[in-house]
Amino acid sequence: MSAAIAVAVLGASLSLNGVFRGWAWLVPAITTVCVIGLTMAVLRALRVHPSFATFGGLLAWVAILDFTFFRPESIAGFIPSGATLGALGQFLKRAGETVVSETAPVSPNAGIVFVACAGLGLVALLIDALAVPLGMPATSGLGLLVVLAFPATIKPQGGGLPGFLVAAVGFVLILGCSQWFAPDSRLQTDTPHGTGQFKRAVAIGGVALVVGLLLPLAVPGFERGTFPVGSRLNAWGVSNGLNPMITLGNSLRNPTGDGSITYATSSTAPVYLRSVTIDKFDGDTWAPDDRESSRRIGPGRMAPDYPLPSDQVRQLTVIDTGQFSSPYLPVPYAPTAVNGLSGRWSWDPATLSIRGEDSTTRNQQYTVYSSLPSVTSATLSQDNAKPTSISQDFIQLPSNVPDIVKNTAKAATAGANGNYAKAMAIQGYLRSSRFSYSLQAPVQGGYDGNGMSVLADFLQQKSGYCVHFASAMAVMARLEGIPSRIAVGYAPGHATGATVAVAGQEPLPEYQVDARDAHAWPELYFEGVGWIAFEPTPSRGVVPPYASEPVAPGGPSTNLHEENLAPGSSTPAPGAADVAPVAGPGAGPGTGTGSATVVYVSAAALLVALLAASPRLVRSGIRARRLRPARPAGGAGSAPPRDGPILAWAELQDLATDYGMPPGPSETPRDFAARLRNSAALGAPVAPGSPSGAADDAGQHAVASLTGDFERQRYGRPAGVTADTAAEQANAASERIRAVRAAFRRNASWFAAFRAEWLPPSLMSRWFQLMSLPFRWLGGVSAAAAHRAAASWRRLSGSISWRR
Amino acid sequence: MDSKRHGAVDEELLRDESVVALPPERESLNGHKPIVMDPGQFHAASEKILAAINKVIDGKAEAAKLALTVLLAQGHLLVEDVPGVGKTLLAKTLARTIDCKVSRIQFTPDLLPSDVTGVSIYNQSSRQFEFRMGAVFANIVIGDEINRASAKTQSALLECMEEHQVTVDGHSYQLAEPFMVVATQNPIEMEGTYPLPEAQRDRFMARISMGYPDKLSEIDMLETHQAVSPLAKVTPVVTSADVAAMIAAVRQVYVSQSVKEYTVALGRATRDSARLRLGASPRSLLQLLRAAKATAALDGRDFVLPDDVISVAESVLAHRIILDRKAASSGDTPQSIIRAILAALPVNQDAGAERRGG
Repeated sequence: MSAAIAVAVLGASLSLNGVFRGWAWLVPAITTVCVIGLTMAVLRALRVHPSFATFGGLLAWVAILDFTFFRPESIAGFIPSGATLGALGQFLKRAGETVVSETAPVSPNAGIVFVACAGLGLVALLIDALAVPLGMPATSGLGLLVVLAFPATIKPQGGGLPGFLVAAVGFVLILGCSQWFAPDSRLQTDTPHGTGQFKRAVAIGGVALVVGLLLPLAVPGFERGTFPVGSRLNAWGVSNGLNPMITLGNSLRNPTGDGSITYATSSTAPVYLRSVTIDKFDGDTWAPDDRESSRRIGPGRMAPDYPLPSDQVRQLTVIDTGQFSSPYLPVPYAPTAVNGLSGRWSWDPATLSIRGEDSTTRNQQYTVYSSLPSVTSATLSQDNAKPTSISQDFIQLPSNVPDIVKNTAKAATAGANGNYAKAMAIQGYLRSSRFSYSLQAPVQGGYDGNGMSVLADFLQQKSGYCVHFASAMAVMARLEGIPSRIAVGYAPGHATGATVAVAGQEPLPEYQVDARDAHAWPELYFEGVGWIAFEPTPSRGVVPPYASEPVAPGGPSTNLHEENLAPGSSTPAPGAADVAPVAGPGAGPGTGTGSATVVYVSAAALLVALLAASPRLVRSGIRARRLRPARPAGGAGSAPPRDGPILAWAELQDLATDYGMPPGPSETPRDFAARLRNSAALGAPVAPGSPSGAADDAGQHAVASLTGDFERQRYGRPAGVTADTAAEQANAASERIRAVRAAFRRNASWFAAFRAEWLPPSLMSRWFQLMSLPFRWLGGVSAAAAHRAAASWRRLSGSISWRR
Repeated sequence: MDSKRHGAVDEELLRDESVVALPPERESLNGHKPIVMDPGQFHAASEKILAAINKVIDGKAEAAKLALTVLLAQGHLLVEDVPGVGKTLLAKTLARTIDCKVSRIQFTPDLLPSDVTGVSIYNQSSRQFEFRMGAVFANIVIGDEINRASAKTQSALLECMEEHQVTVDGHSYQLAEPFMVVATQNPIEMEGTYPLPEAQRDRFMARISMGYPDKLSEIDMLETHQAVSPLAKVTPVVTSADVAAMIAAVRQVYVSQSVKEYTVALGRATRDSARLRLGASPRSLLQLLRAAKATAALDGRDFVLPDDVISVAESVLAHRIILDRKAASSGDTPQSIIRAILAALPVNQDAGAERRGG
């Protein structure tokens, strides 16, 4: 029982693979769960009070966690002390940091692994407590569900089939075993609990499992439903506000792209909507810096705290955020005024990001006036001065910049003079064909997320998505002395075709962006010009004219033709919307192949499992059919009621075959029964009244009465049997068969019992016969042919000799 | 398919023979009202008989039971063994336990057929030929050393056995019911014997061989037979009416189709066997089945099992089959061959129907 629980919990925990990086976390988890299971099993074997067993499990839980994680601080290695509590606090703090700041897969640091092990151990305890002392084994599935739901919501690929399968098997085992190990009488009703119930439980559970796994494959559209497998549960809307960098990847992978924002702009080109910027590149994970001290309330009139050039292009943008929910307001850069917001909002003079103080962006309609310096590559290239009028925040780099980033930056900018040239060199390097856009590669490569180490991985793999490209460019720019930051928001999206009338303006074309347009891009600061956006991500967004390569000076290069190569992306520019209609459906293949593999693997695993279990299932099916009580008279299709003993006899024969004593063809029922009863399989024939063999005696009696019934049925005078007596007979027969089975099992070796259950020889021989039928037929035919050939040869040789 | 058809033919034969052998009017021949015997009474009666026999003959319960079986199946018994193992004693004891008319014929080479069947003598006073009944007019006839009589005399007895009647001078006389001949025979190699031809051996339902008793039984026998003959103490335990009722009960035993098929298959197997020159005749199968019915009844059942057939097959068939020369020279005996055939014969002749149930 404890083993079953351990199997279930560990199986469920297998699906945590992918939440953590690597497998290092698994060993402590296994240790924890096994120690707890073992402790409770031992306690139960000692027949202590059930609640005491649970209590002992709890103690074991404390001890093993202590032993694994706080050995130095503990007394004797596993008894917690005061110092342990301090270490515990540290661990919890660290785990909290990990939870808040990192994205799956997180690095398996001691804190988070501790939390995971503690959780798994507690779940094992809970399941055990539910299943055994409380006698509610079915509810123990809830505990498993907790473990399974966790990775399902966090991991991009969902829970993972192996984990689910093993957990399900464990659950079925729990259900089955609970019939034997239930300590109180609540479960033990008057029906004798035996293997039948275990079998039934296993069979029902197996069928439910198969149905559960096959249903999604059979029902179309399940993969892309409103809650597709593996998508993240976003209880707070499309993205939550803590760290847009982290949710960005998930938004991009979101196959439905819900939470769309519509906007209409007076700009000639569709605009990027910027939510927030990230400018601090230290720590494991980069996060926006809100600069609480310098924030100002009221975005009605905004001005940056750095000088701006005089010639600005002013734009008006009307935005409707719809269901999109975030504390940061998406606006086109650079906003000078935002009108029409509800709630209190504050803005940061350094980055011009707007944040809700007491409200979110949900259902906001607002008008943004923005201005952008009209720059050209010519004006930018004039700037070579070291930026002075900007906070050092935007130029600082942590000390842990990996060498590969430094080297790459040096190599990419070699020969470039001036900040603009360097920036263009970096962008050109990142946009070159050496890099590919992929949403999946970082996840599979384990560098999904951000941070310096992720950046190093990205530069090595040369595959990633906007976050990686943007952060690479930003970091490399800083290495080259250009102030930079990462902007997070939305790429332009696509035109809806509608227009929006705004007072005092021409009808403005309307655009729509959704989660799949989530984007990150670098902004570089040029002295006297301000912050300028670049687009290093291949196949995404629009490269601004000033950032285009000189070879393509004629207007913006949109890269839209690469659009179809980018899985999951759908950002056709307004003009290209009707030229590239395949962009929408193109979202399929990327996620499709991934899930198809899962589907195939799971189908194959299912098939294998089904094949492995099929002899057993078929065998029990046959048994159930034979022992089924005859239907009331007139029940069409059922065997005539008087066949009951004969079917029971057939079952007895097969049962004996399963346990290695097949009936001989020339053996009469009586001889066969006598052989059974004298063999060791039913236990030694005991003298009546000796208590030790009472159970075996039941088997002996059962065989005797089955034989008698069968003989009477088969050789006796046909007698009219009413439906009632037939049902009675069938019940008695199944009782007897059960007794015989129990006796067989008790007296069989472990291997024989296993074989009888899973590879019943009675079935196997039948299948073998069936399968060898063609061969036997072939053999017969060839033998006949050989015979004929020999005969004709004899005839031939005979005629020859006759002639001679 | 093929075997089915033949089987049906054989069954027809069986049924026809049984009609011939057991005319219904026979039942009340001796004025016995056919008593309906329930299984309990049947069992009690048979137990009484067997107990009485076993009191006399030590360690031969099997032979005793088979003798009773043959009696109840209305057959005749051939007891064959070397002299002095209790052949005659068995026959006498069986006859004594039943309150019925018993006669004993000691067969000698000069015994005449009329000694067996009876003779018509001219009665001076009535001036008519009177029929003087022979020894065969009894319920149980013990024919001692039957193979010492001449073939003619043997034939006279065998006609009575088959027909249950005696025909003398154009008159037919019915024999008493129940009627059973228990003949003893010395082994064929003995001096001065006329071995029964196979056609006559076929008339006997079963042949048993007494065999030597085991050590303990022999010691017992020496003890008990010392002072007074135990046969003297045997008193009848059942009446002939009881026996007739028992016979009627045996006749009522049900034989299922599968047992019939099994029996026929057994007969066909003996005929097809390469080691046998002569297989079991249809009459032998009929007798086999009758013996099986009696066995079933003695076992307290009202239906025949294949086990019943098997248990009597050796006794019923062994004296009717003739070994091939090769088999005989290689040391096979009829018994061993029948055992081998039984071991190879599937019990379920309708295996297809059986499988359908699974």
